[in-house]
Amino acid sequence: MATIINCSNLGFSYNGTDVLDGIDLSIAPGKMVGILGANGAGKSTLLKILCGVLKPKNGEAFFNDKALSKMDRRDIAKGIAYIPQDPMFAFPFTVNEVVLMGRAPYIGRFEFEREEDKEIAKRALHTVGILHLKDRLISEVSAGERQLASIARGLVQEPEIMILDEPATYLDVKHRTEVMNILRELKEERGISVLAATHDIFSSLLYFDEIMILKDGSVLAQGKTDQIINNEILSTAYGIEVIVRKENGRVFVFPNL
Amino acid sequence: MSTNRKFLISVGLLFVLWIIVALISIFTGTYSIDPLEAFSNMDELSQTIFLKIRIPRVLMASIAGGTLAISGAALQALFRNPLASPFTLGISGGASLGALLALRSGLAVGILGFSMVSISAFIFSILTMLFVYSVSKVGGVVATGRLLLAGVVANFLYSAVVMFIQFFSNFTESLQTMRWIMGSLDVVGFDTVWKTLIFVIPGCLILLSSTKDMNLFGLGDDVASSLGVNIRRMEKKIYFATSLAAGAVISVTGPIGFVGLIIPHILRMILGVDNRIILPCSFLFGAAFLTAADTVSRTIISPVEIPVGIITAFIGGIFFLWLLIRTKKEIIV
Repeated sequence: MATIINCSNLGFSYNGTDVLDGIDLSIAPGKMVGILGANGAGKSTLLKILCGVLKPKNGEAFFNDKALSKMDRRDIAKGIAYIPQDPMFAFPFTVNEVVLMGRAPYIGRFEFEREEDKEIAKRALHTVGILHLKDRLISEVSAGERQLASIARGLVQEPEIMILDEPATYLDVKHRTEVMNILRELKEERGISVLAATHDIFSSLLYFDEIMILKDGSVLAQGKTDQIINNEILSTAYGIEVIVRKENGRVFVFPNL
Repeated sequence: MSTNRKFLISVGLLFVLWIIVALISIFTGTYSIDPLEAFSNMDELSQTIFLKIRIPRVLMASIAGGTLAISGAALQALFRNPLASPFTLGISGGASLGALLALRSGLAVGILGFSMVSISAFIFSILTMLFVYSVSKVGGVVATGRLLLAGVVANFLYSAVVMFIQFFSNFTESLQTMRWIMGSLDVVGFDTVWKTLIFVIPGCLILLSSTKDMNLFGLGDDVASSLGVNIRRMEKKIYFATSLAAGAVISVTGPIGFVGLIIPHILRMILGVDNRIILPCSFLFGAAFLTAADTVSRTIISPVEIPVGIITAFIGGIFFLWLLIRTKKEIIV
């Protein structure tokens, strides 16, 4: 079976403590995969390894069966877009400038963006619905709009997969839904795979094809979403008792207080 | 406007500005030279002043102003902080001490055309930068408070050593050092200009080649890295290049303050924050600014020449104050 991202027996440690241990993962193209797990379970670290930002201590991550460690950084950036949990904007760039930076892997050291790049940025801004904010400063728009700008920045990289760290955590329910809908659209209409860490069990059920649950740096469970989300697994993952109830084809999850 | 056009227009206009300021400066001074005579029948005195004093001095002012400003812009990108500059980070202080130590220990000789004074200034600059960077970075992010404190501490330590050396110097040496520490551009002849350029040209070229990476760096380490930037290499390049260029300049002119801070600031207010535009423009605008400031310092109470550092510190101080009042919250992020 073709995989876009895979790794086996991946490990990482930080200051002598194991953060990840023995992670096996494979993502088929065109799938939307969620990573769940308690705070500190190793989700962010895993994502950073899979997009080539961190080097694993053990094992190796592969993109289209090529080892990330042997790939050129710019080539990785053309295939994998990474959107962190809380993106930093150290200087007040405009929204358009931020999005255009996603074209960096396609532009030479002394080059400016070509017309073609600007067109791609414009389309990306349109796709995420913030074309009207193009010339506003990134420091002046709302958190939700900043997240959409980051997704547009990832989009202009023309990636095969987008890796997102808690893309909706800081957003209200409307923007959260908007972001998740956009990601699903990208998957369905353009075949872009999505790998996202999340704390949101509810939207996981609605959007993700597959779920991987991390606990203390190891894989607790992995598989099709409806098979993974059950009270036994969730209770173990988060260390509190939860109730999972199915009604009219919908699944509800509550903490058992 | 597209970035491309914005770049061409702003670089073009600032280049013209620099040419105009430089020409005015060349023909202005205690001994005024008639521009019309300059190219036809110049007498010997005028010729000497023109070639041995004025032109080298204007070039030195331009190189110094440009280098300090572009270094300031690069450091602000590296520290992700608008308050970074060679002066506020203690790099100027370090370079001054390095230069002074080389001078006093009799190392003021050239090795293969490189001035030992500049090399010593470079070494002290880069050590200071490493110190300030490592002290101010907490959890991968530069904390503004720590950054400024580390800079202040470095400056204090250096000036203590400088004062110690001063205390044991004779009167002439002491006066010389004093003037130089105030920041001054009285070079004689082209020799110093060339010796500075050997360091400044590679330094500035390295910085200009990293502007795209600097932009991406502004999106955070992880995003920059995921977009293809080799963070460690970029950091090292900026350390090396700014220390090389600014160290060489400071070893000649003394620590001329505030140019590195205010020039990039003014330009960002007008042109936005894209480093591909801000860095080259900082060089040109810094060159024009310091040349103008130097012309003022030579003429304001002519024939007495005040050290240009006093002028820039004065303008810089007022500007900085205005900046602090105007942008109460934004500036300390």
